[in-house]
Amino acid sequence: MKGIIRMIEHDFRNFLRYKWWLVGLVSMNLADLFIMAIIYNNMINVEKVKITSYFNFFAPGLTVTGLFASAFMIGREINMERRREVHHYMLSLPMTRLELALGRVLSGGLRGMVYMSPLLLTCFLFLGFPNVWQLLLILAVLFLLALGISGLSIAIAVSTSSLEKFITARGLIYYTLFFCSSVFYPLSLIEDLGKDGKFPAILVTLAELNPLSIASDMIRNFLLGEPPFSYFLLLNVLAFSAIFTFGAAFAYMKIIERK
Amino acid sequence: MTLYSAAVFIGFDIYEEAEHGVFEYLLSLPVSRRQLVLGRSIGGGLRSFIYVGPLIVVSLYVIGSINPLNFLVTLFSLFLFSFGVSGMSIAIAVMIKSSDRFDILMGVLDALIVRLSTAMYPLAYVQQANPLYGGIASFNPVTFAADLFRWGTGIESTFFTLQNPLLPFLGVVAFFSLFTLLGVTIYERMIEGGGWQ
Repeated sequence: MKGIIRMIEHDFRNFLRYKWWLVGLVSMNLADLFIMAIIYNNMINVEKVKITSYFNFFAPGLTVTGLFASAFMIGREINMERRREVHHYMLSLPMTRLELALGRVLSGGLRGMVYMSPLLLTCFLFLGFPNVWQLLLILAVLFLLALGISGLSIAIAVSTSSLEKFITARGLIYYTLFFCSSVFYPLSLIEDLGKDGKFPAILVTLAELNPLSIASDMIRNFLLGEPPFSYFLLLNVLAFSAIFTFGAAFAYMKIIERK
Repeated sequence: MTLYSAAVFIGFDIYEEAEHGVFEYLLSLPVSRRQLVLGRSIGGGLRSFIYVGPLIVVSLYVIGSINPLNFLVTLFSLFLFSFGVSGMSIAIAVMIKSSDRFDILMGVLDALIVRLSTAMYPLAYVQQANPLYGGIASFNPVTFAADLFRWGTGIESTFFTLQNPLLPFLGVVAFFSLFTLLGVTIYERMIEGGGWQ
């Protein structure tokens, strides 16, 4: 356990080294919310998409994308450590491989939560605050999501030999998960397009099962009262988190020792 | 949007060259400082143009038939635009001297300059959302480039209204002239005697 805490401390120190980079990322997120979303407010077809305010609709989605981007940062660091052979030092530290691996996944997730907090607070300030139980559930689901994302990014980082390959894989995952989700548009719209044959059925299913959709729609349901939300869907987030947390820890332990 | 982002990359190359000692080699070449920075701006503009080439081809495929003369004027304007963005990127990179700070500034600038333009939405909606946003978008070089591309490919006649393409064209020319001149002047002043370090 001590080893895990040491790893979290190590990764948080690294995270704070990028504070100005984080400021840049936050400003981009806020520009999306306070410029793009406000302009889209006037452009959307209210009857068709059933959204009265795009700003309100987009704020929870933006929180989730912010969480995704920041939790994914740990992968870039691990990929760099591998390329610069810093992983030999990490392996020489007095802790078990499991502590090392779990520490990395946990710190990636926690860093995502720290980064996402101001975005979530902004969301609450404009959309209203949830009750205590809803808040706890939001934080728990976002933490599980952050762990899964951190694990996914670590699994990619240790499986790719160069930064270019890592960045390409990251781009592919970003765009697939972001655009096949309800982050930017309602899930009902994607489903309608699927029924009309304008959107591939496999992508509709991906959007429905996507943990980003589930987390965004859960926050929307708590704060805006729509879209309808089923607690049963949280099992998807739990499965995503469990698969990638333990999968990444296993991949990290096995692959990093081989190189 | 992509053309702007690709043209900015020349600034990152400058930091990489400084880090690996290539800067000294470039300064020792038998070319004047002015030729060096102009060459770099043209190179930066050209390579970003090559980068967006496939996207332009896809756009043309989707749009269908176009007026070739208008399209040539558009291509020329887009080249001037990317040339200007490269000049701006070089000027900022040489002034800031820190790749981290440059990365942040360009990220913030990218977020603001693209979102406060008509690249993603028509000007009327930007003005309707906030008059300040509309004012900035009206004088944004990304707006000029996006509107000219729409005009050149004939989209504006269907979805948008661009009354006079001469105005955005003059805007692109002014942007290109200003930042090329700035890039040359700042580059010339800052690089002598290890001033970029």
